[in-house]
Amino acid sequence: MKSRIWYLLTSIMVISLLVTACGAPATTAPAATQPPATEAPTTAPTEPPATTAPPIKVGASLPLTGDFSEPGTAAKKGYELWVDVINKAGGLLGRQVEFTVYDNASNPDTAVADYERLVTQDKVDLLVGPFSSRLVIPTSEVAAKYGYAFPEPAGGAPHVFDRGLTNIFFCQPAPSADQAIPFASFILGLPADQRPKTFAVITNDDPFSVSVVEAAEKLLTDGGLEMVLKETYPPDTKDFSSLAAKVADKNPDLLVGGTQFEDAVGQAKAYQQAGYQPRGIMFTTGPGLPKEFNEALGAATEGVFAPISWFEASTAETNPEFVAAYHAKYGEEPIAEDSANAYTVGQVLQQAVESTQSVDNAKLIEEMHKATFKTVVGPLSFDELGQPKGSYMVLQWQSGKIVIVGPDFAKQADPIWPKPQW
Amino acid sequence: MTIPSLHLFVQTLILGVLVGGVYALMSSGLTLIFGVMRVINVAHGAFLVLGAYLTYVLFQNLKIDPLVSILITMPLFFGLGWVLQRYMLSRIESPEQTSVLVTFALALVMEGLLGAFFQTTVRSVKPSYATEALVFLTYRFPVTRLMGFGVALLIMLLLYLILQYSQVGRAIRATIQDPRAAQLVGINVTIVSAFTFALGVSTAAAGGSLLSMIYSFNPSSQADWIARTLSIIVLGGMGSLPGALVAALILGVMEQLTAIVITLYWSPIVFYFFLFFTLIVRPQGLLGEIIREKG
Repeated sequence: MKSRIWYLLTSIMVISLLVTACGAPATTAPAATQPPATEAPTTAPTEPPATTAPPIKVGASLPLTGDFSEPGTAAKKGYELWVDVINKAGGLLGRQVEFTVYDNASNPDTAVADYERLVTQDKVDLLVGPFSSRLVIPTSEVAAKYGYAFPEPAGGAPHVFDRGLTNIFFCQPAPSADQAIPFASFILGLPADQRPKTFAVITNDDPFSVSVVEAAEKLLTDGGLEMVLKETYPPDTKDFSSLAAKVADKNPDLLVGGTQFEDAVGQAKAYQQAGYQPRGIMFTTGPGLPKEFNEALGAATEGVFAPISWFEASTAETNPEFVAAYHAKYGEEPIAEDSANAYTVGQVLQQAVESTQSVDNAKLIEEMHKATFKTVVGPLSFDELGQPKGSYMVLQWQSGKIVIVGPDFAKQADPIWPKPQW
Repeated sequence: MTIPSLHLFVQTLILGVLVGGVYALMSSGLTLIFGVMRVINVAHGAFLVLGAYLTYVLFQNLKIDPLVSILITMPLFFGLGWVLQRYMLSRIESPEQTSVLVTFALALVMEGLLGAFFQTTVRSVKPSYATEALVFLTYRFPVTRLMGFGVALLIMLLLYLILQYSQVGRAIRATIQDPRAAQLVGINVTIVSAFTFALGVSTAAAGGSLLSMIYSFNPSSQADWIARTLSIIVLGGMGSLPGALVAALILGVMEQLTAIVITLYWSPIVFYFFLFFTLIVRPQGLLGEIIREKG
């Protein structure tokens, strides 16, 4: 009897291990958390086509739930707005655009399966990318296999571009690693008596975050700052208290956080609890979400820096129209950067289709490599690897709002330094 | 690998003990149910997460403090546990074998339903004191964790008093020792089982409320929590309440120390390391002699 109980117990342990291990970021939802309703594709309402031509089908898989649900949902809004705008203006090549989006629950395997399904079963004409390098890297292989152009809103890590693919077009101003440049230049440009002397790098183990913070690490170290601590944590970490105690113990002047959203909030809260007051703090992603970041942290947002690719008040050609259309469709809430990035993808795709007068993906890929596109993040062109050739900006939270504090071409206000008390 | 300063070491011990207390409360219901019914309630993690969501809803909509909401969620969960035991689990044949599958199914159903209602977005309850900490001799005690620790100890003390001094507590302990003999002296084992299961589930409500303000969670967090709580009660000795407390404190401290000395990346491994170590070296757990199998 006894041995049977223990046999049973051991088997449960193994099962529970497997359950947690397979689900490895524990938040990637297993099938059970996905109600059938979210499996069904949501198809943007299309007005009756003006002509009898069949619609042009565009497909995407986005992380609408799970770790990346906030930015994923924002990207969906950007795509859907683009479809709306285009259809109201008479469609693409005179054909209506039909947009199909699946929820991949932030799970790379699901995302890959979704893109397979979009190409082989739904037979879409055009593909647009998911959110974040972690999902872009595997899904771009699917697109390449079937010869599809793969413009994408948020996958700029070095590994996105080092696999010899020619169908990827990263629709932000510059590759991810460059995100660190404006912030590092600001820090290194501070007068000697104000410049931080030490810094810590605390990052999640995500290809995007790591690429940004490692670039920052190199720039700051080369600039004479000393790195006193570097820690990497799994993307699904929920408890930052011990890490914060470790940071507080080293008390670096400057903190560089490689984050998505939840972990930026988690880190900030834990630092407050641990009594760590940085003179400056930067998170790679999270602070760029104007509504959510403020809701999560309130007054503690003051003085937080982050790199950003787009801002609402930008006067880049087509941006004011985008901002107006966004507010008309979704109300007055501030626009997330990710929505603008997704809209940019749409603009690139649309202009390539219009100038080649076709939805032939081989022609589109060729066109995207050589043309310059008018987008909400400014004029955009790509090198042979699909890396954009512009520059990022740096934002800071001031009085509960995002303002652009550099570089000079986009500056809205002077940066606050050092960071006020949490 | 870094050797922490003395200050950091003590600070880490403090954080470990605080979180250990909360772990103890979270595991207490699981070990109690096993002690009486020889049922491993695999849905315990799901009950914890359900408790966290209920706290979240009460906080978001009615601004009820997570600690106050325990007064609401515990009775609710007690009722839920009672109904589940009386009308579902008690109808299973040879519960020692099949209850694992049934409660595992229950966990999956609950996870799915929570996913349908709340999506898989990560949530947490943020009361006004969420980022505050008390400072004592330069050591910091985060308010949420300190309160969580206090409430956990209080509830476990109540649990202990119920088991030790009340009529039903005596009946529960008698059933743990020998169900057949208990029945012979007139204890209604059916009612005792339902009561115990309900009590166990209601501690998950309290544990869930604490979880909601200390950690962030989503429906699939349940898998993580059942793994942790199971590891704790295996280390402590299945069915032993004091064992669960001791094991929870050990694992809480070890988890935090691992994050400091090695890296946060290795913290989750601590639970599995202790789990395997216990099963190999001392399968009955630290204080496990109390639950020796009969027959």
